[in-house]
Amino acid sequence: MASLVPLKEKKLMEVKLGELPSWILMRDFTPKGIAGAFQRGYDRYYNKYINVRKGSISGVNMILAAYVLFSYCISYKELRSEEA
Amino acid sequence: MLSRVVFAAAATAAPCLKNTAVLGSRVLQATRAFHTGQPCPTPVPPLPEYGGKVRLGLIPEEFFQYLYPKTGVTGPYMLGTGLSLYCLSKEIYVITPETISTIAVVGLMVYVIKKYGASIGEFIDKLNEQKIAQLEEVKQASIKQIQDASDGEKTQQALVQKHHYIFDVQRNNIAMALEVTYRERLHRVYKEVKNRLDYHISMQDMIRRKEQEHMIDWVEKQVVQSISAQQEKETITKCIQDLKLLTKKAQAQPVM
Repeated sequence: MASLVPLKEKKLMEVKLGELPSWILMRDFTPKGIAGAFQRGYDRYYNKYINVRKGSISGVNMILAAYVLFSYCISYKELRSEEA
Repeated sequence: MLSRVVFAAAATAAPCLKNTAVLGSRVLQATRAFHTGQPCPTPVPPLPEYGGKVRLGLIPEEFFQYLYPKTGVTGPYMLGTGLSLYCLSKEIYVITPETISTIAVVGLMVYVIKKYGASIGEFIDKLNEQKIAQLEEVKQASIKQIQDASDGEKTQQALVQKHHYIFDVQRNNIAMALEVTYRERLHRVYKEVKNRLDYHISMQDMIRRKEQEHMIDWVEKQVVQSISAQQEKETITKCIQDLKLLTKKAQAQPVM
């Protein structure tokens, strides 16, 4: 594909669908890279919703909602078997 | 302090001097340059005022904006409704007794947040502002301290410029004291020398006087010795005769 920017430096939203596998494989999967990815994600969320002058409850609320969803997914199988 | 100015000037003139590691720690300290880079104009961006916008307290605004071109304003809500009905009907979400408590708790939370959210927010904002005011105070105090120190330095420098007056006065005083001691000593020398010379003069005078007296005494003694007894008798009779003649003359004269 003719791309003006090299593939490695594109963000996820700018990667075209066909380039996705090669993009994923190009990411940094060393422990340092993975830790860096978690740190980056945390920093982004923190600086956008929590580290502000007048933060609202939605900063914490979204984390709690994500936790609720996640724990529901974990206990889904058990709920299905219990209901049947 | 002046040495630092000199070396900063030298560093700007010859940039190669900045990074040479010269042998000898003493010289190394002298050639290292401090604070040669430009100070950063905006070091830290201020905190954003509000966080990212979130709708319904759960879903970020970016999602709605992402779907707006294709589905308009109601698109995400329809998506949400459709998904929830699908999950319910396909039993992906199982309705258990916990569902009722979940609905109750969520309802209560929504009510409390809607009612007391703003006031709690203001309270926490006040706490924050107090903290920021404290830090600001510390910063201002530090700035003021440094400003005062630099002003003190400037006045000290200005004073140093005037020191030459003091030095002139001191120099004059010392010159006068030197002159005074010189003249004093000169006078003392003169007095001492005169003293010695006077002593010699008075010695000579005394010796001459003593010699004169001695000579006079000696001459008198010789003369007295030389007058024999017979000569003395003759002289006395002659004197008596002369006296008689004189009395005669004297008696004769006042009568005339």
